[in-house]
Amino acid sequence: MSLTIYGQQLTSRLLIGSALYPSPQVMKQAILASGSQVVTLSLKRQNPTEQSGQQIWQYLQEIVSQNNGHLLPNTAGCKTAQEAVTLAKMSREIFQTDWLKLEVIGDDYNLQPDPIELLSATEQLLNDGFKVLPYCTDDLVLCQRLYDLGCEVIMPWASPIGTGKGLMNPYNLETIRLRLPEATLIVDAGIGKPSDACLAMEMGYDGVLLNSAVALADNPVLMAKAFAQALQAGEQGYVAGVMQQRQTAHPSTPTLDTPFWHQN
Amino acid sequence: MTIHINGKAYSLGEAEYISVNNALILHFTEPQKTTFAVALNGDFVGKADYDSTVVKSGDSLDVLQPIQGG
Repeated sequence: MSLTIYGQQLTSRLLIGSALYPSPQVMKQAILASGSQVVTLSLKRQNPTEQSGQQIWQYLQEIVSQNNGHLLPNTAGCKTAQEAVTLAKMSREIFQTDWLKLEVIGDDYNLQPDPIELLSATEQLLNDGFKVLPYCTDDLVLCQRLYDLGCEVIMPWASPIGTGKGLMNPYNLETIRLRLPEATLIVDAGIGKPSDACLAMEMGYDGVLLNSAVALADNPVLMAKAFAQALQAGEQGYVAGVMQQRQTAHPSTPTLDTPFWHQN
Repeated sequence: MTIHINGKAYSLGEAEYISVNNALILHFTEPQKTTFAVALNGDFVGKADYDSTVVKSGDSLDVLQPIQGG
């Protein structure tokens, strides 16, 4: 069972970030342990006398080379469509990919995406040949608009970035899945525990993108493995078909020939 | 003239303009050994245009490099 992103088949349904790890070595080990083939990264101003950015870049190149993976540049920090479009073009030149995790932030408190600027940037970037993976809120109509513009992949949040609060509004996420059955849906941001990722997959989501939940774990490498297993469990549970809930208890053990039976 | 690179001011005397390529030498000692991309006043400038793109007084260059991201 594979994940398809703009026609590219991937064996893992987990997309993983490269930030916040205790060290570059742990980052590399955790990403490889996760089995993920999609690694997010970014572009920033850096002090030209420091070589840390260049070292990270070399590590990330090694990772995607080892796992036959893909880089997914983001537009973190952008607040307008214009900023995001410029950063996207810079990323495409450096990383030689037209994949883009599009972030346009509208509020500094909860880093909530700005839907107006997001739609504007998405339209411009799709027209310029980018394969846009928009990070958005769990708003059905916004997701529908992004899909109508031509996004094959849409990434609603579970909860605000870095909070680890899990799926804040399962009803919204379930509704998006129900109403956009053909879209590739990836829950992005707010995942805290493996069970959060499992729940998203049980809803029929196609994948999960996370970073802090692994990077900030006491043991990031072990947590990466836990998430890989959680996604598999959730996906298989969804495919297997979850039983209907019932209002009343039903004995699991056959009642026929029950010993010590007393008919009232 | 004065230009800004990543927010830092550079005074270039009486010159009226310089190319992006020459501006990058102010920022990096060896640009050719570094992975980066450039925007001039908020607009992307591709590598092929570094020689022909002019930086004037008051202009602002952003020189960005890969970094970890979520």
